[in-house]
Formats: sequence, structure tokens, C-alpha cells
Amino acid sequence: MNAIEVSHLTKHFGRLVALNDITFSVKEGETFGFLGPNGAGKTTTIRILTGITVPTGGDAQLFGRDIVKDTIAARRTMGIVHETSNIYTDLTAWQNLMFTAQLYDVQKALREKRGRELLELFGLWERKDDKTNGYSKGMKRRLTIAMGLINDPRLIFLDEPTSGLDVQSNLIIRDVIRDLNAKGVTVFLTTHNIEEANLTCDRVAIINRGMIAAIDSPEKLKGTIQSVQSVEVALDPVPAHAEEGLRGIATVSEVRKLGDKFRLITEDPPTVIDGVMAYAKAQKARVISVNTYGPSLEDVFIRLTGLDVRTKGVRTVD
Amino acid sequence: MTDQDWLRQLRVEIIAAWAIAKKDMLIYYLKPNIIVSGMLFPLFMFLAFAVGRPGEPSVLIPGLIAITILFSASSIEPVSIPIERRMKTFDRLISAPVSLHAVVLGESMSGFLYSIGIASVPFLAGLIIFGTPILQIAPLVIGVLLTSFCFATMGTLFASYPTESPGDIMSMLNVVRLPLIFISGIFIPIDQIPGIAQYATYFSPLTYGNDLIHAAYSGTTSFSPAVDIMMLLVFILIFQFAANRLYKKFNE
Ligand SMILES: Nc1ncnc2c1ncn2[C@@H]1O[C@H](COP(=O)(O)OP(=O)(O)OP(=O)(O)O)[C@@H](O)[C@H]1O
Ligand SMILES: [Mg+2]
Repeated sequence: MNAIEVSHLTKHFGRLVALNDITFSVKEGETFGFLGPNGAGKTTTIRILTGITVPTGGDAQLFGRDIVKDTIAARRTMGIVHETSNIYTDLTAWQNLMFTAQLYDVQKALREKRGRELLELFGLWERKDDKTNGYSKGMKRRLTIAMGLINDPRLIFLDEPTSGLDVQSNLIIRDVIRDLNAKGVTVFLTTHNIEEANLTCDRVAIINRGMIAAIDSPEKLKGTIQSVQSVEVALDPVPAHAEEGLRGIATVSEVRKLGDKFRLITEDPPTVIDGVMAYAKAQKARVISVNTYGPSLEDVFIRLTGLDVRTKGVRTVD
Repeated sequence: MTDQDWLRQLRVEIIAAWAIAKKDMLIYYLKPNIIVSGMLFPLFMFLAFAVGRPGEPSVLIPGLIAITILFSASSIEPVSIPIERRMKTFDRLISAPVSLHAVVLGESMSGFLYSIGIASVPFLAGLIIFGTPILQIAPLVIGVLLTSFCFATMGTLFASYPTESPGDIMSMLNVVRLPLIFISGIFIPIDQIPGIAQYATYFSPLTYGNDLIHAAYSGTTSFSPAVDIMMLLVFILIFQFAANRLYKKFNE
């Protein structure tokens, strides 16, 4: 049985079509990523799958239970981490966790044991009796995820779990996702962070304007666009108008500036390397590093959505 | 579902409702604006009408208890629910594995218990300061419980309106609550209300609540206690189901 089975799901808000006939399934134990830009329909999908909103058309089954007809039974198996860190800021971390546990009918002894484990796991145990209004953004996010796990779900929905967090919080959260996956928990996460999808997901669906553009493992998605490879170079000193100069090299289709380096997109890396050497010599610069890369998930994303990551605010690294 | 599943789910729903009520109590009982609207507002309303009129404590005290319940029972949810919408914690409640009835009940329960606490103030004042005798205890207890629960559920019903600002709901609520004071026989006995307005009294839950509480102090009722109790139960059911309906509708 699949953990999630979605068929022909549609959602309209008035005249706006937020989801346009999406179909996909997630196998039990899989970490599945929904990758898409702002307004793509990621949160709307989660809200339908958790029974908060009803779909305009189509249906969704969670472990064989229809989310519209059998909402409560379907919800018992799931944990939900909403897009906003929705904790009660007038309550302590401990009170927040115990409250959530009671909503999910977790018995007292068990909820206290799990509560302690989760707070320790997320590095919040020492602050458990502090009101959460003083918590940092990362602490609030970690507590929100702990609350999503208090009922020991078989399936967890994570709506942008690491968006806008510092490195430490990010690492803790990614570790937790990996552990959940190892324990056989099905993870459905949304993100607009391509690198996150690449690192954590078994399979990724790329969603744009309410439609799924592709679903596959990150590696296979990359394989679909073998023609896009790249050469990354760092020059010292950086010549004036380097972007233009590098774009002039034969077979280079695009130049992206990444910090102090340049990434040259090409179908033919060897030719580009020769070109870069010649260019550097002419500009009296030294080539400090050269790396070649296969296609990235980012490239797939741009290709499929027609979005340019640099202009549409989709971040590639945290 | 088998009978056992139903029983199990019922237990789960009650636990969840109680958890929701407890959470509200922890967060809202000590908030200053709640205390103002729940306690001071009814007192001032009452003084505005009662001062300068001749009246025995045995008439004024039940009226004050009824007005206190009207305002305090519906003072928590109209504040807590819009704030939960704003903080997005409301999504937690409506995505939990319980029905909306449990959510409505839990939210109402906090207003209900609050109101019982607040109503004990005029009750004790009557008892201790004025020595107002209580002729029958049963109508008082039942009257306070049912009226509190009824207006708590009404507060939850009004809070279904999808706004993130408590003021919106408070003003809608006052459009209903203030007229109720005048058409429920608190200051003006029902048979002295002129003409067509008299019929309006039958549609006010406060009429029946006030009648019951009044019976405890005067020994007489306008309707019979059985009618009062039945009407309050009917209003509670209407409010509960209407609230359940509206919360569902506004989420789609
Ligand atoms: N309650 C609503 N009423 C009207 N429109 C809505 C509602 N919820 C979502 N939308 C619209 O549906 C579309 C999809 O929104 P959704 O929140 O699912 O996007 P998302 O992929 O989660 O984006 P983000 O990355 O910004 O979180 C957007 O155009 C949004 O404006
Ligand atoms: Mg979203």
C-alpha cells in the first residue's frame, strides 16, 4: 500500500487555479520532496492532504484512507509541521508539546517520555519551562517539528522545514529527517531550496503554477538533461567585465557568477577549459581553480519551470 | 465503525476538548482585556440601569448574575479564536484527529468555566453583603450552568467568522448581547414589554436563563422551570451545530 496516493487533484480559489490536476504517489518509507517556487501550490497540497481544506476535484488517500471521507482516521497516522512555526507563545515548550500530545491521544506516561526525548533531540530540554515567546526563530521551528513528531507518526508532512534558518538548526533538522527515514517513516516535505531536495529526498516532484512538471529521483532528473554541464573557474585578479569576456568563449551558453567564482554552462567542458586558459592569459590573470560539473537539480528546475533561479528568488544554497 | 470504535473516538474527542479548554485557561484567564470585558463590563451595564431604581436585592441580584453570565461566558472565544487564526495555531486544532465538534466544545468550555467563576462574585455579594435569601437551590445551579454553557457556545459560534481581529467579533457580539438585556425580562418584566417586542423575548436564551435564576430567589417563574431548561438546551444544540457548520464552511 502506498503512503500517499493522489489522483487528479484540483483546487480552485474563486477563479484562481491553485492546483491543476495533479497526480502522484508516495511509497511507504520514502522521503518525497515537493519542489517549487512561491505560489506553486505546495502548501495548498499539504492543506488538502491533511484535511484542512477540501479539494475542488480529484481525491487523495493516505494509507488507503480517503482524506475527505475518512478524515479523522487518516489523520491519526500523520504528523504535521505547518509552514509557519505555529506554537503558543504564551505557553512553555513543555506545555506546547503536552497539549499537542493530548490532541493526538498520546497517553500520559508515553507523552512525557517522548516529550523529553524530542526536546533533548532538538536541543531544547534546558529551556523546556521557558515561555516560547522568547525563543529564537530556529528554536521555534525546532519546537514545531518536535510537536509534529509527538504522536510518533507513520507519515510526516513538513512544509518548508528549514526555510530561513541558521546552519545549526538546519543541520539538526536534516539529521532528524534522515533518522526518520531510516526508521521507515514516510516524509513528505516541501521546499524551494533545490539543494535541500537534492540532499534529503528519495524522489522529487517539481511543481510550478499548480502543475507537476516532473517526478523522479534527483539523479534521474539530472540525467534527463545531460546536455547541461558546467565548468567553474576562479580567476585572480578578476578581470574587468569578466562575465562578458567569459560568455564570449566558444560553446558557453550562459555564465553565472557564484561568489568569487564563475560557472560556465556548456555542452563541451574541454573546449571551455581551453578557452578559459586563453582568456586568462590575455587578461594577465591566473586561473586559481577549475572544476567541472554534471547537470545540477537546479538546471533541471530551470529547464522545467522556465524560471531563472537568480531572478525569481529561489535559493540554491542556504 | 463498530460500537467500540465509537466509544473510543468519543473518549478521544472529550480528552481533546478538555485539552483545548485547559490551554485557553492557561493563556487567557489572566489577560487584562478579558477581565475587563468579562467582569467590569457587566457590572457597569448593570449599575447604569439599576442605580436610582427602587429594587430589592432579591430582584437585582439574579439580574446581575444573568447579565454577568451573558458577558463573561462569551468573552474568551471571541478573543482566543481570532488570535489563534493570526498565529496560525488554529490550523493545529482543525487538523487534529478529532471532529470540529470537539474543537467547538473545547473552546466553549473555557468560556463556560470562566463565567461560572465570575458569576459567583454577584452571587456571593448577594449572600454575604445583602443577605439575600435563596429559596430554591436547584434552579440556581441548573440555571447558572445551562446559561453559561449556552452563551459560551454562542461566543464560539460568533468567533467562527473568519477574521484575525477580536474587535470584529466583539462588535458583532455586542449587537446581539446588548439588546438581549432589554428583551429578556431583566429590568422590565416580560409582561410589561410593549406589543410586538414581547414576542422577541421568546427568542432570547437569556429570557429562560434569567427566569430560572430568578426562580431561585423569588420562588416564581414566568415559564415553568421545565420549559426554561428545555429551551436552553435547544439553544445550546442550535449554537453547537451552527458553529460546527460554519467552521467547516469557512475553511473550504
Ligand atoms: N485561502 C486562499 N485563498 C485564495 N487563494 C489562495 C489561498 N491559499 C492559497 N491561495 C493561492 O493559491 C496559490 C498557491 O498557494 P500555495 O500557498 O499553495 O503556494 P506555495 O507553493 O506554498 O508557495 P510558498 O512557497 O510561497 O509557500 C497561490 O497563488 C495563492 O495565492
Ligand atoms: Mg507554502
